[in-house]
Amino acid sequence: MTDVVYLDKMLMKTGLNKIFLLLALAAGVAFADPIPAEALTQGGLQMRDRQLRDIGLVMRGGRGGFIDIGYTYTPSSEQLQLKSQYGVHNGYAFRHHYGIFGSWVLDSVSHFGFLTWFDRTGWDSQDFFFFPHYGKFAHISSALTWGFSYTNKKYDATVALGLQHQNLELASHRIYENESDSLLFYWAHARYKSLSFQGSFYRGTFQTLRFSLDLESRALYGGAGSGFKTYLPNLNATIYRRKSGDDDDNFVRLNWEQNLYEQVLYADVTFDFPDDGFRSAALKYYPDPSRMIGFEASCIRRHERAGASDLLWGGAIDILFIRLGYNSVFDYENMFHAKGTLIAEIKFQIGAADGKFFGRGAAKPAPMETTQNSIDLKKFMKSHAEQNMGTTTRDSEGRKVLHAKGIRYENEGAATTSSEGGN
Amino acid sequence: MKFLRLFLCLVTFTLTACMSHLFIDTSTRLQVENKTDVTILGLDIVSDDGSSVSPWIRESIEPGEKSKVVEEDWVGTFRVRVRFDKWDKYEKMIAVSCVTDTRDVKVRGLKKQSEVGVTQRDAGSGCNGEGEQTYAELELEFEGGSQYLVVSEDENGKAVFKFR
Repeated sequence: MTDVVYLDKMLMKTGLNKIFLLLALAAGVAFADPIPAEALTQGGLQMRDRQLRDIGLVMRGGRGGFIDIGYTYTPSSEQLQLKSQYGVHNGYAFRHHYGIFGSWVLDSVSHFGFLTWFDRTGWDSQDFFFFPHYGKFAHISSALTWGFSYTNKKYDATVALGLQHQNLELASHRIYENESDSLLFYWAHARYKSLSFQGSFYRGTFQTLRFSLDLESRALYGGAGSGFKTYLPNLNATIYRRKSGDDDDNFVRLNWEQNLYEQVLYADVTFDFPDDGFRSAALKYYPDPSRMIGFEASCIRRHERAGASDLLWGGAIDILFIRLGYNSVFDYENMFHAKGTLIAEIKFQIGAADGKFFGRGAAKPAPMETTQNSIDLKKFMKSHAEQNMGTTTRDSEGRKVLHAKGIRYENEGAATTSSEGGN
Repeated sequence: MKFLRLFLCLVTFTLTACMSHLFIDTSTRLQVENKTDVTILGLDIVSDDGSSVSPWIRESIEPGEKSKVVEEDWVGTFRVRVRFDKWDKYEKMIAVSCVTDTRDVKVRGLKKQSEVGVTQRDAGSGCNGEGEQTYAELELEFEGGSQYLVVSEDENGKAVFKFR
């Protein structure tokens, strides 16, 4: 049974779709905290880093295709207000994004691919899809990452490289700090088996350097489907370039993803070194290892106050076309520290390789239905007709005789009776 | 197919998001009426720390007069400063205005909307400096659209701000 069918049945059974829709509507009246203007000025860094992390996950296979498209839907202008030095402004935080990867088979082992990732995020006094209102306190910026990839199946290796553009479309000088208008970065990704390296550079100096060890064995990429190998950890360490004053103040973020149970239950923990220590943790449950559907509970340390009250607890539900999050780590990081409100994202995300489908970061492909249950009417009729033809016989004089099946009306003498009645 | 239909419904539903400008105001058209017996010199939006001032109503409003309507992009909750020419009953407040930490002054200005103390702050050096300002400061919620603010004075000598 496919996930879609499974989900469909689940929804039908419980009427969950209506509940989700109502929840999304209720988001408008939730008690939300306004997002700080400072978080918007840091949005570019966040977008670029997330896009490269996404690309890293897709490059685990490096062939086939991947699409991820979506936008957040926050229906009320009081849901994600903006906190500036003057007070609290009514309006909308938004995030529109897509990520597309496609590849061509060059020969039996080589795959050549093209990828493009785009995010447009910010805050404006009106919501929009393509044409912003450009309010006097708006902040709109975008990041575009694109590049080419080459994968060699024989050596199980991928190389990808490209450019990354960060563009500040509009930032009101009244409430936001000064930012660079447009920035151009280079990025490169190299993978050999489970080891990968990724870097992004600005004018010859690195911005991020990431080393990944994806030790977990994945059936999707030809690994084991069960056993101890699937319980090996996925580790990555990212060095971020940071300046404090004129000095380098680089830090390392260590990310550890661990399969806890049959590749459907995962823990994901993040630490910052050398200073900040624990950053976030999440427990993720995917009903199917293909990760089309996911549930997560997460907590993030915000570095705003001391002790346990600094932790923000939340969760999210992801069901193929819609993602609902409340205080989740992802929303906190990607929606400018949004918290205290339900954030709905309308989205679609699927990966495909070798005729199999899967979600981002999945370990196994989605189980596909191989039997065709629906009846092809044309085929059916044709075969039926052929069967009937087979019953053709010849009479003693050699003429064809068709034996008709079905309803036959025979009433000898009926005509005579009716004519008599006419007189 | 049923799932696809649900998805298309969701998309269509959320596409209405870009129509919000039809029913949501993103600016406030403000008019101020002065029902006090002193002249209002202007109305500004000020930042939390008082370092940034964004003028809104720039004209002075004589007692009993109304200002012109001025449209600005302020929709939400902001800190408003209304400057007066003078305030007759501010004797007690003068002491406060001499405190060097101006935050004390502001805390007094943050009382309930119906009883805003008018403070006098010395903008020059020392309490007897010349450039002194008399103003009331409070947080007001602007819903957008056309808003009419009435400034008056209650029997205790406090300034009263009410939207009408």
